[in-house]
Amino acid sequence: MTAMLEATAPPAVEPSRRAWRRFLGHRIGLVGAAMLGIALVIAVAAPLVAPYDPYEPVRVTILDIYQPPSAAHPLGTDDGGNDVLSSLIYGARVSLLVGFAAAAMALLIGGVVGIVAGYRGGWIGSLLMRITDFFLVIPDLALQIVLVAIIGPSLGTIIVVIGALGWTTTARLVRSQTLTVRERKYVLRAKAIGAGDVHVLRRHIVPAVLPLMLANMVLVISLAILSESTLAFLGLGDPTVISWGQMLNFAFGRGAVSAGAWWALLPPGFAIVWVVLGTTLLGTALEDALNPRPKRHHLEAPGSDVAIPVPAAHVAVARPPTTTEAGAPILSVRDLAIEFDAPGGPLRAVDGVSFDLRRGETLGLVGESGCGKTTTVLGVLRLLPPGGRVVGGQVWFDGEDLLALDGRALRSFRWTRLSLVFQGAMNALNPVRTVEDQITEAIRLHDPGASRPASSRRAGELLERVGIGKRRAREYPHTYSGGMRQRAMIALALACDPDVIVADEPTTALDVMIQAQILELLGGIARDFGMGIILVTHDLGVVAQTCDRVVVMYGGVVAEENAATRVFAEPQHPYTQQLLRSFPDLAHPDRPLRGIPGSPPRLDAMPAGCRFAPRCPHAFERCAVERPPDYPAAGGRASCFLLDPAEEGRP
Amino acid sequence: MTAASPPLLRVEDLVKAFPGRRSLADALRGTPAMPVRAVDGISFELRPGEILALVGESGCGKTTTGNLLMGLERPTSGRVVLNGEEVGRLSRGDLRRIRRQAQMVFQDPYESLNPRMTVAEIVAEPLRVHGVATSDAGARVRVSAALGAAGLTPVEAYLRRYPWELSGGQRQRVVIAAALALEPALLIADEPVSMLDVSIRAEILNLLAALAHERGIGVVMITHDLSTVAAYADRIAVMYLGRIVEQGPTRQVLHDPRHPYAQALLSVVPVPDPQLRRPPVILRGETPDASRMPSGCRFHPRCPKAFDRCPVVDPALVMVDGTHAAACLLPEAGGGGAEPTPSG
Repeated sequence: MTAMLEATAPPAVEPSRRAWRRFLGHRIGLVGAAMLGIALVIAVAAPLVAPYDPYEPVRVTILDIYQPPSAAHPLGTDDGGNDVLSSLIYGARVSLLVGFAAAAMALLIGGVVGIVAGYRGGWIGSLLMRITDFFLVIPDLALQIVLVAIIGPSLGTIIVVIGALGWTTTARLVRSQTLTVRERKYVLRAKAIGAGDVHVLRRHIVPAVLPLMLANMVLVISLAILSESTLAFLGLGDPTVISWGQMLNFAFGRGAVSAGAWWALLPPGFAIVWVVLGTTLLGTALEDALNPRPKRHHLEAPGSDVAIPVPAAHVAVARPPTTTEAGAPILSVRDLAIEFDAPGGPLRAVDGVSFDLRRGETLGLVGESGCGKTTTVLGVLRLLPPGGRVVGGQVWFDGEDLLALDGRALRSFRWTRLSLVFQGAMNALNPVRTVEDQITEAIRLHDPGASRPASSRRAGELLERVGIGKRRAREYPHTYSGGMRQRAMIALALACDPDVIVADEPTTALDVMIQAQILELLGGIARDFGMGIILVTHDLGVVAQTCDRVVVMYGGVVAEENAATRVFAEPQHPYTQQLLRSFPDLAHPDRPLRGIPGSPPRLDAMPAGCRFAPRCPHAFERCAVERPPDYPAAGGRASCFLLDPAEEGRP
Repeated sequence: MTAASPPLLRVEDLVKAFPGRRSLADALRGTPAMPVRAVDGISFELRPGEILALVGESGCGKTTTGNLLMGLERPTSGRVVLNGEEVGRLSRGDLRRIRRQAQMVFQDPYESLNPRMTVAEIVAEPLRVHGVATSDAGARVRVSAALGAAGLTPVEAYLRRYPWELSGGQRQRVVIAAALALEPALLIADEPVSMLDVSIRAEILNLLAALAHERGIGVVMITHDLSTVAAYADRIAVMYLGRIVEQGPTRQVLHDPRHPYAQALLSVVPVPDPQLRRPPVILRGETPDASRMPSGCRFHPRCPKAFDRCPVVDPALVMVDGTHAAACLLPEAGGGGAEPTPSG
């Protein structure tokens, strides 16, 4: 899966630049940044933009108090006869200063506590986190009021009090990020090199934690500004300076409401909302950019339930293929083509793949990662990730075109006739429900007539069949080992008695002995139930030991197809030959392995001719310009010009 | 073992026990936690230029062994002697010095490189950490040499790249280059190719073999996959539940495995030849938890050839012939067989 996405992803970009691009694509974040930016510019340029200097003592007459907006005072005057607009502009200085200074202090404390707690762990870490928890549960505002009241309301005190109480969320965030980074393999590698703690912190931990702190800082600033406004409004602001909270406090305390002087109340309130909203929007956007949430799982791909319109070109042949060979295929894939959306236009990941699967047959789909194996089977199952779609071909299943089914028919088709075993069994099992529950659910979902006891009995039988046993049916997946989870996954796939099972790298993360157990189980099931199995794997050894037929894929096309015995005995396509030579063989342990230089083609740089030509030792001129068709060879087929009778005489 | 050259690495009766978990009920009752012996008395030697494969399934203690060899963990008992110095007894400062001689190649080339650092910075990191080649020019020379040795040529094309710009095989070469920067005498490679595509594995294995044979670096390859090391290892040690159950020259272990576990493990390795489908000896169940160590021979509950003495006697690793040893009571494995146990 990852390999496929890698192949379809746009050219690799540095993570920080990627985050920056994500941020720029976030319109709300840009709005927030602009809002905060305007406030900052006004605060810095206050003496230039304010019509009056509110700190300058003026002689006030009764007529100057609470004057409504006029040409001389665009926002009117306050209880002291001062210009509200000027106070507002100068107030921005104090509010923002308190916000930034307190946030800086909170970040410093929170950052240090978080990194130490996360990196050191042990009793120091626990102690620090208990202290953090303590500060987190006491009500900030109440403590701020008490402290400021005791120490005395000066600007410095307010900053320190807000900063000293506002670090807890940062500490928790930094700690959890540090814990994650600490376990990264590159940190382990640095330690194995012999690096000390200082080096690891400076080079690996801090650079990974800083971006998160940046996002957090913006939110801490908005909280600090709010705290300062609240304190000032309650009369605990520094009386010698003008802040927005202070303006509100004076307006409320000195009769603005009874005087109907809305202009003394609304502007500072609006200014606070403006800055807090701006910082919050900016903070949310930064967080999204630096810490993107995974999108929906690809199995929930929207739109995958809609019938795929068969392209006109294929209507003529839209009839199930008939075959004269023994046993009609249960599954026939014809000219399947799959594209993925990409910034530069759609990219073709699978380009005209055809194969058949008969009942009781095991078909191996092999190739390096990025060759389109998984994409092909996901396309057959109509489970492509968002951005991917089938653009041509047919998938015939027992006489029905799967691509023409609508959502309902498709859903009942999936599991009752065709089911799936994934590579990471843990991700495919629901961790909060027992294994028996999940199998029973699958049975009842597709057969509403099945009674609960009957389904539960059947779940028990299935678990016996896959070697788990009824005794552990009522347990949760996490109590199972990796091998048992894969067995449970197979039981789940068998729940509705399907005709075909698609197993995508079912043994890749497992130990050899467990792999042998699982393969033996799959083989036994194919035999006993007469089921067709499509085995997607990169492991030629597994294919040789379990498959009847083999489809070798390269660059989104079928390079070669044949019976397993013949593919291994007389590989026809140079890619198959090279792949076999690079695979270790215990039967010939002394034979040195040879890799295939280079890597599979990227989807956005597909060679014009044969896709394997750039890595092929036998490539000649024709291979670079022309796409090879399938040639019959050794009882199977392979797409290589060396098999063209016209090219006879070449090696 | 008669050695032409003095051993580079000597491991003697190495044990690593972790404190076991106990249930709340046990804790309240005051039952002490049983230590879990992840590595339970293993011994081997490695000469310069030799490749030893440490093979076993997950939970057999092979990764813990690797960490002990690197001094990343301290042994509970036993010794790891590298170039005459005992790794487990060193102070922090001395440990750093000895680490220059032993470097590690990790399994996952996607995770083990810091995405924020360039190739040049990654390979120079060990030099900075150890204060070797303090001048920029000196560092550049050594970084280039290491990249060249790891097969990343032309070097200039890689220096300023970031890990995400490289393929899996290239990343693993960067990991190897970083390990080579300090010119170590010993490389511990923990599953160096299991995350890579088959077509790339051979390149990396050939590179490691070349480093051993041409530069005389001793290599301990830790893996679960016998087939990938078959063509490369000089010797194989098969581990099961913290013990080495069979050890010997690669050819002998592969062609004539004596321990039933080694035999089973070999029989299930898939061979890419459908003509050679053999009946595999599939062991039932899974490797038990080391906290519930079976009595006697630790393999007996799963052993297809177990007999009455196996649950009672814990077999030692004994020589089958000159260089090939197994830990099994069966006569063909060099054990005492079904003879009556000496009374006692």
